[in-house]
Amino acid sequence: MDSKNVKILMAKPGLEGHWRGLIAVSSAFRDAGFEVIYGGSMRPAEIATTAAQEDVDIVGLSILCSNYMPLTSQTIEQLKAHGKGDVMVLLGGIIYPDDFTELQKMGVSGIFIPGTPLEDIVKFVNDRIPELKKVA
Amino acid sequence: MTANNEDQIKSASGIPIKDLYIPNDIKDIDYDKEIGLPGQPPFTRGVYQTMYRGQLWTIRRLSGFNTPEDTNNLYREEYELGQTGFSIAPDISTASGMDPDDPRVVSDVGHAGAPIYSLEDMETVFDGLPIERVSTFLADRVGGLLTPAYFIMAQKRGIPMDQVRGTTANDLCTWSSMELANQPTPHTFLRMSVDLIEWCAENAPRWYPISMNSYNPRDNGITAVQELGMLMATVIQYIEEAKRRGRVPLDKFVRRFAFNMAVHNDFFEEICKLRAARRMLLKIIRDRYGIDDPKCGQLRVHVQSSGSTHTHQEPLNNLVRIAYQVMAGVLGGAQSIHANGYDEAVCLPTDQSMLLSIRTEQIVALETNVTNTIDPLGGSYFVESLTNEIEERAWDFVKKIEEVGGMAQAINTGWIHREYKAAIIDYERKLRSGEINVVGVNKFRMEKEPHSIPIFKPDPKSADILVERIKRQREQRDNAKVTKALQNLEEVVRSEENTFPAIMEAVKAQATPGELAAIPLKVYGPWTYPIGV
Repeated sequence: MDSKNVKILMAKPGLEGHWRGLIAVSSAFRDAGFEVIYGGSMRPAEIATTAAQEDVDIVGLSILCSNYMPLTSQTIEQLKAHGKGDVMVLLGGIIYPDDFTELQKMGVSGIFIPGTPLEDIVKFVNDRIPELKKVA
Repeated sequence: MTANNEDQIKSASGIPIKDLYIPNDIKDIDYDKEIGLPGQPPFTRGVYQTMYRGQLWTIRRLSGFNTPEDTNNLYREEYELGQTGFSIAPDISTASGMDPDDPRVVSDVGHAGAPIYSLEDMETVFDGLPIERVSTFLADRVGGLLTPAYFIMAQKRGIPMDQVRGTTANDLCTWSSMELANQPTPHTFLRMSVDLIEWCAENAPRWYPISMNSYNPRDNGITAVQELGMLMATVIQYIEEAKRRGRVPLDKFVRRFAFNMAVHNDFFEEICKLRAARRMLLKIIRDRYGIDDPKCGQLRVHVQSSGSTHTHQEPLNNLVRIAYQVMAGVLGGAQSIHANGYDEAVCLPTDQSMLLSIRTEQIVALETNVTNTIDPLGGSYFVESLTNEIEERAWDFVKKIEEVGGMAQAINTGWIHREYKAAIIDYERKLRSGEINVVGVNKFRMEKEPHSIPIFKPDPKSADILVERIKRQREQRDNAKVTKALQNLEEVVRSEENTFPAIMEAVKAQATPGELAAIPLKVYGPWTYPIGV
């Protein structure tokens, strides 16, 4: 599997309307050759439905408000309920370091804070292409 | 004199900057016509004759959190600390026009601002605070509940409508820069927004019912030149709409405009942007629309340090950035300033960072003596030359927007959003290539954060309190009265009548934010946000 076969859904599960980070990362993924579905603002259940319909490999979430714990957990629950518990979940935004461990336990594979170079995010995914479930 | 490296050095907007500016650079400027005296057209040197010698800028922070009660405590503290105006940031459910028990918004309730779902909540927020002595900014949604609730509260306190002072956000440009739920179409927004301006022009002469706002658009990555162009194109859009409707004399209409802009990192460019903005507004009002009263062309501006310049890495560095941005606002002649919390790229601001924001402004105001003389940079070869250059380029951008049908159409079709997107991608490229320096991020970055700072966490119990409260409100109110008020509002929205009186009545009847927001969406349909990759 190479980058061309990787399908990523990018979305904001909360309602705060700041999409700059989401667009920047989505564009970087697209430029790196991934197939990007830009979902924009979507509730956790919509994210899961779209992830299932489009059979994506990765769900990228952007949250800039301090409510990322419930939003991420709800999104992961919904993904499981829609048979997409195996997707890789990435989270970007203003995330407190204290919460990293719990988010990882929840099932978040990569956490990216503001100021992370875009190429680091792309590299993170590229390095893990072999782990994506479709390959298994 | 020609500079050897003219091509290499550019402002953040891409304007070539010479190594030295000399009298020759400003020889074509007619001082009386293009610079003039403060308080006189074209207001390049400031809107008021005495500027900060007469009155300092208003120190005003956009704030609010958790519950109306917690927000009230915060506002009381801010007032004690010497803040001279209030500024309500609504929480996400208020801003989205959703009731707190709407399943779509549950995790967002009480976040990023004050939850205000009723007149009672508004009264709680301002309990014990002398609203007759301060002015308040309301970051209300169009057709929202904050402005009517504030007006009704003032009436109940016996403050005559012509004495109520403050500003409603109400601006198309900033509103469309964010993807929010329940967004009506840009043309619906414009109609309801102009309804409020027309109502206030007749009924609330000291209230600014619109703040033309380029702050949030700027944080979407655009340059100072684009920011200014978008702002002026928005002004033109509103005046065109008022002209088309023909209900309020144009001079009366434009007197009600307030402005809200960003102050970013490029120090002189930001100062010159504010100077150019004043001159551009005057030209629009006087030359394009033939309104001769100079008071109509005074650009009174609130500025805020640009959140997008604040870094998550080494957050204390942001204190320094913010102080320079505040200084740019002061040297640019702002009437009101919000200094961000240094920690806002890390968390919602703590008490410590909010105190520092107020102190930053007070130190600039009281210790640096930059307020001693008016427009100290006026006449500088560089500053006057750059002011002209920015103005010229901003007019070009206004022209581009007009060519695609004006601001509302440019938003509706996604033209503006394509500009944002191109700017965001361009910024990321420059950050990568090192064309833009961000200390602690792409310059001198440290492996590990050297110091920790206090972190604010919102009270997770707020949402439960608020959900309980709105359920009680629905049970206790006179539901027949609410239904009637909402039916009336729907009829008014379908007609061409001014919607604001019907919104006031619905708020008096205790209609909820979700009920109010649903009506324009029902009548005109939702808007699909025009961005994607």
